[in-house]
Amino acid sequence: MSTVLDNVRMALRGVASNWPRTLLTMLGVLIGVASVIVLLAIGTGSSEAIQNSIESLGTNTLTVFSAGQFSSSGSSVRFTQLNAQSVRLLSSRQNAPDVKSVSPVITTSQTATYGSSTYTTSVIGSTPSYLAASNYTVASGRAITSADVATHAPVVDLGASVASGLFATGSDPLGQQVTLGNARFTVVGLLAAKGSSGLSNADAVAIAPYTAVEDQLTGESTSFSELLVQGRSAATLGLAQSEVEEVLAAQNDTTVANLPFTVLNQASLISTATSSANTFTTLLGWVAAVSLLVGAIGVMNIMLVTVTERTREIGVRKAIGARQSVVLSQFLVESTVISLLGGVLGALAGIGVSRLTIAGVKPVLASYSIPMALGVALGVGVLAGLYPAYRAASLRPVDALRYE
Amino acid sequence: MIDARDDVPVIALSHVVKSYPVGEGEVLAVRDVSLVVRRGEFVAIVGASGSGKSTLMSITGCLDFPTRGHYRLEGVNIRELGDRDLSRIRNTRIGFVFQGFNLIPRMSALQNVELPLVYAGMRAPERRRRAGAALEIVGLVDHAAFLPNRLSGGQQQRVAVARAIATNPALILADEPTGALDTRASAELMALFSQLHAHGRTIVMITHEREIAAYASRVVELRDGAVISDREQVPTTAAAGFSG
Repeated sequence: MSTVLDNVRMALRGVASNWPRTLLTMLGVLIGVASVIVLLAIGTGSSEAIQNSIESLGTNTLTVFSAGQFSSSGSSVRFTQLNAQSVRLLSSRQNAPDVKSVSPVITTSQTATYGSSTYTTSVIGSTPSYLAASNYTVASGRAITSADVATHAPVVDLGASVASGLFATGSDPLGQQVTLGNARFTVVGLLAAKGSSGLSNADAVAIAPYTAVEDQLTGESTSFSELLVQGRSAATLGLAQSEVEEVLAAQNDTTVANLPFTVLNQASLISTATSSANTFTTLLGWVAAVSLLVGAIGVMNIMLVTVTERTREIGVRKAIGARQSVVLSQFLVESTVISLLGGVLGALAGIGVSRLTIAGVKPVLASYSIPMALGVALGVGVLAGLYPAYRAASLRPVDALRYE
Repeated sequence: MIDARDDVPVIALSHVVKSYPVGEGEVLAVRDVSLVVRRGEFVAIVGASGSGKSTLMSITGCLDFPTRGHYRLEGVNIRELGDRDLSRIRNTRIGFVFQGFNLIPRMSALQNVELPLVYAGMRAPERRRRAGAALEIVGLVDHAAFLPNRLSGGQQQRVAVARAIATNPALILADEPTGALDTRASAELMALFSQLHAHGRTIVMITHEREIAAYASRVVELRDGAVISDREQVPTTAAAGFSG
């Protein structure tokens, strides 16, 4: 129907006729829509930051912590620990079919020195499988090997931050000797940068065979502080967790319920963090929705003013044949145009502001937020326009024409 | 514009009463008016302010309903009609000319004349042609693109006349059309009405000025809501043509 188009054209003319007022009204919707998009982006951004820092722990991993606790079973009290035996038992395909690899972990913080440069780093003593489980890839040189572990070779793979902290750009660290604490290690490989994940710098690491770390830095021990277990897949990580728990319980003559170790499931950690981040995002969304509501009230207010101002015009239009529905749709279209324009500008403003880092969070645009915000703006236009438009449509022409 | 229903009166008011509630009682604005206007007549309704002529105008324009009595426009009882039909009648059968011109301020002269055709659902090219023809009749074709605030009062009122005749209505209703115009513009407007009358248009005009009523072929005088005289006369014809 051409009348629809004519109606839109007439509404646009009405919107343009008082543009400063229209602009201010639009501003209310603009700010509302922009804040919905930005606050949702901040929520999504912080949620992703948390997820990333958890994921930097590795892929499909379980972390078994031991503080060398005492466990009680029956009357006997004994010291339990994660030891080489635990690693052997867990590595057995038969005991734990869903476990892909088990890496013992010894962590110590040391000052790395090369020439006159120093860099404080955490030194991780482990086995080659640790690199894969923790998502480290070798950028140049080679990874530590099982042979290195067996021969207690003092070799090390340096994280990107450590390498750049110790060596001048352009120089080749491979084959160089660095001092970790009091011990000399040969650099055999450089790790690709993983990027900082907010909580800790995953690139400030030096990974060496655990046997060498024990020999040179921490002293021989029969226990490990931590085991990094990699599951075969995300889907079977829960199975892998119960297998690990059962094996360790059996090894220590106890039950799974009384297990003296903490098994941290990365997937459940992520889901917990994600659900609390979602709550946070939803809360932010509602705060923004309030400002959108204020914008909507502004649109309704200005539409009521417009209808009152144009009462005579409405009377004339009715006298020359405008049906109620035509008058209704004219004002509805007008309020929708104001809201939708405000919504589009608000979406652009929201996208723009989301490029900035706000309160330490890099906002990430939620894919649903833009269509949602525009949809809400459209709804706001229709709902806020409905009552004023109805008032206009139901004016009696004789009264409207006499209005001064 | 003259069809087979020639014998059906354009306006047939029978015992029309219009009252407004005031406090406990009511005020009679129109008391028992019966009036028949035939096709081709140019009727001036005269009377002092408060004589009920504006109320009668609203009823004949289908903008208001009588409290009692019947109003038939071209034989159709408007009491029985809903918003949709009333709008269509106001759109196609009646052309309004108001004292205050009442053009839409943000629309050009041509767009104002097009507006009733828009409401009639006419397509843009046909609409533009019809509106242009109406502006031609009132002598303002070269002002088609002007916004109302760039036109003089007389020109605005002629645009309003063009808007009134654009849908080729059976009845032109003019409410004090010269009320806001100076003598010269008034004379030009009345010359235009005489010309429309000469072409067979039916015109009902409200005025309180005798010299304006002199242009009509029939004068109905109201006092206190009732008809006190109704006489035919030889209309004054325009002394000269008019120019923009």
